[in-house]
Amino acid sequence: MTTSSDEPKVPGALAALTELGRDRVKRPTPMELDHGLNLLFARVAAGRSRRRGLVRWSLVGAMAVLSTLVILRVKSVAIKASSVSVPALAYHIDGGTVLDGGYLRESGHAGMNLRFSEGTAFEFMPGTRGRLRAVSPDGARVAIDNGRVSFSVTPSSERHWFVEAGPFVVTVKGTVFLVSWDPSSERFELSLRQGSVVVSGPVAGGGQSLLAGQRLVVNLSRGETLITEDGLEQAVVEPVSTPAASNLTPAAPQPSMAQATPARLPPSTAHAPSAAGATEGGERRWVQALASGHWDRILEEVERTGVDGVLNGASSEELFALADAARYRRRVDLARAALLAERRRFPNSPRAVDAIFLLGRVEESRDGGAVRAVALFDEYLARAPAGGYAAEALGRKMILTKQSGGVAEARSIAEEYLKRFPKGSYVGSARALLRVP
Amino acid sequence: MTTRRSQASLALVVGQNRRGTGDSDLLQGLVAGEVWAISETWHRFAPMVVMMAERCLGSRSEAEDICQEVFHRVLRKVKTLRDPSCLRSFIYSFAVRVVRNALRRRKLLNWLSFEDPESLVDMHWRTLDFESRDLLRRFHILLDRLGPRDRLVFTLRRMESMTVEEIASYLRISESTVKRSMTHATDRLSHWMHADPCLSGLVDGFRSTQ
Repeated sequence: MTTSSDEPKVPGALAALTELGRDRVKRPTPMELDHGLNLLFARVAAGRSRRRGLVRWSLVGAMAVLSTLVILRVKSVAIKASSVSVPALAYHIDGGTVLDGGYLRESGHAGMNLRFSEGTAFEFMPGTRGRLRAVSPDGARVAIDNGRVSFSVTPSSERHWFVEAGPFVVTVKGTVFLVSWDPSSERFELSLRQGSVVVSGPVAGGGQSLLAGQRLVVNLSRGETLITEDGLEQAVVEPVSTPAASNLTPAAPQPSMAQATPARLPPSTAHAPSAAGATEGGERRWVQALASGHWDRILEEVERTGVDGVLNGASSEELFALADAARYRRRVDLARAALLAERRRFPNSPRAVDAIFLLGRVEESRDGGAVRAVALFDEYLARAPAGGYAAEALGRKMILTKQSGGVAEARSIAEEYLKRFPKGSYVGSARALLRVP
Repeated sequence: MTTRRSQASLALVVGQNRRGTGDSDLLQGLVAGEVWAISETWHRFAPMVVMMAERCLGSRSEAEDICQEVFHRVLRKVKTLRDPSCLRSFIYSFAVRVVRNALRRRKLLNWLSFEDPESLVDMHWRTLDFESRDLLRRFHILLDRLGPRDRLVFTLRRMESMTVEEIASYLRISESTVKRSMTHATDRLSHWMHADPCLSGLVDGFRSTQ
């Protein structure tokens, strides 16, 4: 980009943020483009049909034209059908029906079986919702809205099968596998019994090939991708991230929150920086260190001087800086201790309210901390109903409630979320929850 | 048991590779309402429109809606385009104006609403960690405080790397107005960021890790 001489100089921080906002945007995938094009065609066709309707009513001779078009169309289809080398696919459904738009409706409670004429079979488990997006002589595309589906695809070099599950697309040749997708917890799972598949979507590296015997579990809400083999957890747990996102994370290796080793808090032996040196710029030094990304420097200083002393003597600013540094370094226990100290020692400060939400996030990542996390999110929502983290707090509460108490309990929270934050980031999960019968 | 023969959609079937088709042939095809021309125009220009709209609005789903609206308008008005070499700018100018209308509409709704809107909701957030999401959300809250024109000018200039002349042309305003808007937006954003040490600190932290 050329910058003219009379253009305002953009400060470094603003330029970096702008760059981040620019680089975060990704090019639409071919699948998204195809989907958008179909919508455009449908829209154009709808406009045309309206115009055609007007003409039909106003002109007497239009019927003759339409008849001619129909004849031509039939002839065209007949010619094409005779020239197609691959036989068309026919299918039948046991236990359900196909409604308009390809929606698969279960007749009873025993699931559905979708069988194609060339031998491929899809088995929808009871309660599973999905759509038959397209069927062509080359194969089919099926979407799972919610639930589990077992696939047995007959190998063929001429046919291509695609399975969509949330943001994931499984490209199949000939194989046997099981896919499940839970939109409310944003959990995707694929167990491959035979053959190979490629999973694309928000998995590490943009695409993941799987071989027979492997199982892929992606938990978007936790940012984890897990591959297991023959029942053993061999593969890595790695954060789900885009290249742009990975640029933003600290360079040092970071275990996930769920796996983070609890920080060992050394015994208190010395006083906090503020207790000794608030006037010596300790507070400012930590804020600057945090701003410069020197989180380890803060943590080392805390461990050197003693955690208890810091928690009891540090200023509000320092405690928040410490909590941030600990969170960024996944030192869950230390972050929790700093936030608790913030609440205990500065209960009336604005930061104390934010600390409640952040404590909830920390609790959520601890084993068995879901109940405490929900209570903290409730407290935050009560004290700051329009706060900066309100939408996030209610969304997390909804997810945790669904996990612990089931869909019925979470439904009212989902309704409240949609009402209060119709554009919030948990809208998709809330709608999915409400769709569950 | 029901048996149905497939009704394969022909919408996406392109008989031959048209990727090398020139703008002139493409324009003729569009004017004639040819399916291949619509498909090729979409694949050639839709990514550009979606990405631009997403950067301006901070929402992927809104950007996709904008893209539909832009191409619908383009297909309706394409007969008025005389110079095939201007097809790209023709589409871009529609896109910029539709985005501007969306920003104005959003501002108006915000003014009428009793609650602050949720900013930047679905920019593929699930791929970002919590701190990064927080950072970008704060940035878009600041952008939401700008007027529609200032925000659009700032975004087109800084994120889309457009020239002042291009922005003036697409928005149908003078170049001096573009420069004034740019200065105004930059000053206000800098001021707001300076007043939020947490935000500027986080940004500096991330910059130092890159």
